[in-house]
Amino acid sequence: MQKILLDAREMEHPEPLQISLTHLRTMKNDEYLYMINRRKPIPLIEIVKEKEFSYIAHQDSKDIWHILITKNPTCNLEELLDV
Amino acid sequence: MFNQGGLSLEQAPPISVVMKFFITASIFGLLLGLYLLASSSGLLTYSAYAYKVTITHFLALGVMASFMLGALFQMLPVIAGVVIKMPTKKSMVVHVLLMVGVFLQLFAFNTSISLLYLFSAIILGSALLHATTLMIKELLNVQDHSSSSKGMLLSLGSFTVAIVFGIYLLLTLGGYIKGDAFAQVKEAHYSFALFGWVALLVVSVSFQVVEMFYVTPKYPTIMSKYLVTTIAMLLVLKLIALFTSLPTVGIDLFLALLFIIYGVITLHRLYRRKRPTSDATVWFWRLGMGLLIVSMVITALGTISSIDEGLKMLSYLAFIGFALSIVFAMNYKIIPFLTWFHLSNQGYMEAPMMHDVIHPKKAKIHFYIHVAMLLAWTLFILFNPPMVDVLASLLVVLSFGWLLYHLIFAVRKYNYTQKHTEKMEW
Repeated sequence: MQKILLDAREMEHPEPLQISLTHLRTMKNDEYLYMINRRKPIPLIEIVKEKEFSYIAHQDSKDIWHILITKNPTCNLEELLDV
Repeated sequence: MFNQGGLSLEQAPPISVVMKFFITASIFGLLLGLYLLASSSGLLTYSAYAYKVTITHFLALGVMASFMLGALFQMLPVIAGVVIKMPTKKSMVVHVLLMVGVFLQLFAFNTSISLLYLFSAIILGSALLHATTLMIKELLNVQDHSSSSKGMLLSLGSFTVAIVFGIYLLLTLGGYIKGDAFAQVKEAHYSFALFGWVALLVVSVSFQVVEMFYVTPKYPTIMSKYLVTTIAMLLVLKLIALFTSLPTVGIDLFLALLFIIYGVITLHRLYRRKRPTSDATVWFWRLGMGLLIVSMVITALGTISSIDEGLKMLSYLAFIGFALSIVFAMNYKIIPFLTWFHLSNQGYMEAPMMHDVIHPKKAKIHFYIHVAMLLAWTLFILFNPPMVDVLASLLVVLSFGWLLYHLIFAVRKYNYTQKHTEKMEW
């Protein structure tokens, strides 16, 4: 699986949402978006749910959120989590 | 701007809900400028009292309440995670009654016709109480309050108190009730409206948006946890003191000091932001916080010594400048984002990016107009040179006209994209 990394920790709202939507629109089956953010990106997750992508949202011990999204329903995103 | 709980996209209100309030607020602002212009040019002559209350309520209700209620319809689902069912219908009731009520009230102030006071009390009271009660009802159901949602609840509670007292004042002015407690109610009305409704709402919203919009360090926990509750408690104490004839000076001083500390800490957060460049909205926030500090320093001085009328007027001007600065900052963030977000979510691949909806340079120009307007009014209050009030009034017209033009431009861009570009499934 190809990783598309988006470190949004120092991005101002709504840059992370704009960039991630651009990636999701063109995402291939063997790709996944790995987003690192200070907050849980609720609107992005809602869109992802609506479009029936697979995702996980994990908050690490430093309160940083790791959001992994893919189109591929067979992909195990837990294994790709880097914490 | 987004709650850690959950938000379904279907629960977010349509963009038209926010837009109609913001456009109405800008039109009221434009009318306020024209009223000031007509007064300063000598075309209108009213009593000093009518002039003062007209300007105050044009600003407080026509402009600020319209902006803030519109923003709340949008932000309550995303900040507090609460759902207002049938937002279009409910907001329309508030919107129409508010518009009619504001005009009736302004005519009542300027003509002193009893019936107009009665009608404005009924219509304006219904509009505002309908808005606050429906929002409060939803907020009371929130299980796990954040500092922002708690602050919004207290702010709306303060607004409700201010509205009830406002109805009492209108009915007294109309001669429908005796109004034995007129002076105390008037003082409480202003305190709850300015410190409670306006300032408390800005504080609550800032706890979420300053950090998120501008990548700043978080507010100190003690502040985000206790500030809004402390302000609300002080307002209740003031209310008790007013009706038991106890002195309120200490409470006013404490409130002013809290807002000064909040302003300084917010400025410090903005100073420590990680991005080196600043767009107009950052400057609006900086200016707003600076003006809040100025206003509160004068208020604090007024509680410990006597200050002249000019200084008091400067304090009012600074407070108005503070509230408008934050409202403008939020406008230039919310409108481009919502336009892009709604279109993008509907599947319009050619949805205009935020810069295409309102270019940052246009917002910067508005910032300069706003600063020029505040400077002109300051000059007028301090030195009263000839024609400066006319210039200052023109700048009010220009300021709200500028915003109105860009809001209409955003609506047209939104409609154009929907009509002339293709939707894509992805």
